[in-house]
Amino acid sequence: MATLVQVENLRKEFGNVRALDGVSFRVDAGEWIAIMGPSGSGKTTLINILGGLDTPTAGQAIVDGTDVARLDEAGLTRFRAEKIGFIFQQFHLVPYLTAVENVMLAQYFHSTTDEKEAQQALERVGLGDRIEHLPSQLSGGEQQRVAVARALINHPKLILADEPTGNLDEANEEIVLSLLRELHAEGHTILMVTHAPSIGRLADRRIEFAHGHLVQAAAASLKPELA
Amino acid sequence: MFWRLVFQLLRGSRGRLGVAILAIVSGAAVISALLNLDLGVQNKLTQEFRTLGANIVISPASGAPSQISGAEVPSLMPEHDVLEALQQLPSAQVSAAAPYLYIVARAQNIRVVVAGTWLDQLRKLDAAWKLEGNWVASHNDQSQCLVGRNVARRLHLAVGSPLELHYIDRSAQCSIAGIVDAGGTEDNQIFASLRAVQALANLPGQIGVAQLSVTGTTQVIADYTARLTAALPQYQVRPIRQVAEAEGALLGRIRLLIVSMVLLILILTALCVLGTMAALAMERRKDVGLMKSLGGSISRIVGLFLAEVGVLGAVGGLLGTILGAALAYWMGLRVFGTAISPRWEVFPATIALMIVVTLAGALPLRMLGNVKPAEILRGE
Repeated sequence: MATLVQVENLRKEFGNVRALDGVSFRVDAGEWIAIMGPSGSGKTTLINILGGLDTPTAGQAIVDGTDVARLDEAGLTRFRAEKIGFIFQQFHLVPYLTAVENVMLAQYFHSTTDEKEAQQALERVGLGDRIEHLPSQLSGGEQQRVAVARALINHPKLILADEPTGNLDEANEEIVLSLLRELHAEGHTILMVTHAPSIGRLADRRIEFAHGHLVQAAAASLKPELA
Repeated sequence: MFWRLVFQLLRGSRGRLGVAILAIVSGAAVISALLNLDLGVQNKLTQEFRTLGANIVISPASGAPSQISGAEVPSLMPEHDVLEALQQLPSAQVSAAAPYLYIVARAQNIRVVVAGTWLDQLRKLDAAWKLEGNWVASHNDQSQCLVGRNVARRLHLAVGSPLELHYIDRSAQCSIAGIVDAGGTEDNQIFASLRAVQALANLPGQIGVAQLSVTGTTQVIADYTARLTAALPQYQVRPIRQVAEAEGALLGRIRLLIVSMVLLILILTALCVLGTMAALAMERRKDVGLMKSLGGSISRIVGLFLAEVGVLGAVGGLLGTILGAALAYWMGLRVFGTAISPRWEVFPATIALMIVVTLAGALPLRMLGNVKPAEILRGE
């Protein structure tokens, strides 16, 4: 499989705090990676850098041939629109837009909007009857499914999910995880931050962080390059 | 999708934007009312100047009133004095001239002001008068007269009606050639031949005033007035344009006051919008962080917000302008005693002003450009 993500000696400092300290690893296209570790270990910082939301202090973070560290503000904006699909723990839907408009918002910033396609994306996540509902009229699980539909609408190379089930009850957690399993089966590359070992085990590989270091990799196919 | 998003943004923040639109509507209403008043009053004054027609008046010097048949009347002057003086001066500059003798006579037993004059000169002297019927072609024609519209209504007169005037123990008859709509006190008067009125009042060769319409610049009129004064030292020669110029100076001061008030209101409106937008920008930080994470460039995101603000300014401006036109109409009637009609040019001007002011008030939205999506999504 071709390498989609290549991280080389990545470092990120916030003042005197090193959130990431010399992290290196690779992810092949189509892999599902679980990034695990305690709070403050650098998981979200890594996801933010790979998603172009933050820039590293040093090192390389190459996604689909693009070194995120070298992109300027405009380049990062295009990178996020074209290559990344985000799923956040707190859903982060625009409260005054309906479900379908939240999905179309991602289309709007990517290129052109297609309401029918956005509706189909919502139908795919089981929200065909919630298209015109506002986020406040949806349950937490339904809101997260809208976020999944929004993440997928532009066919991103990489799906970055930061604790996607962290705010969900057991039933909704299962719905979202089955969606991720489907996406993985279809060949999508997923990097998922999670605290829960049971969810981490669903991934092809697990990368564990502690104090900004990659400390452990599990599963046969793992290809860590410890600094 | 752009306008759909703008609409949803407006709907989503309707509470806070309601405060902004209230400020914009109020500001636009006052500005529109002031502009309508400014233009309307100016228009009214201009109309007044035009209907005034004559710009030089010759009258007896203020002194003791004359006695006629035992009754006290204003001072009079011999008609031939004035005519001789006029003949000595170049006539090319005088576009119209007419002597007047005013008396209060009775028609159908109702007291009415009768102006004896050269009826053929009225058309040139008072060009803005509207006339139903016909002008009188000769100033020697004593058989015809003109009546003001209020007199015609009160006495039930129509064009062609006979009219009999009584003064003490004398009377005169004429036929109504036309009904005058002057928009002033002339509507309450009857205009008859000077000779007929002089005969009626038993004041042959006497007049009360003479009016001249002299064409040219202020300097030309001033020169003509000076020469006329020299030719008629015993009478008062008064250029009406001086009054007009005084009115013009007053109008200038009113305009300065209105422009100052408009500027002040614009600044206050902008400050109010600024405060609302600063609060809105803080509220929108999370949305902007999210939009940036989805690949939204700051220009497209701020473009959405500016369009939202522009719509706010346009709608507020339109509502305010309509409200202001109604306010100006009401104020015109209550304060100036004349209806101020809405001026179409005030609409685009006020709306454009409100859009500009609202966009200026939206400066705090610039701070959204500094939003770091990672920090916002972390909840910082």
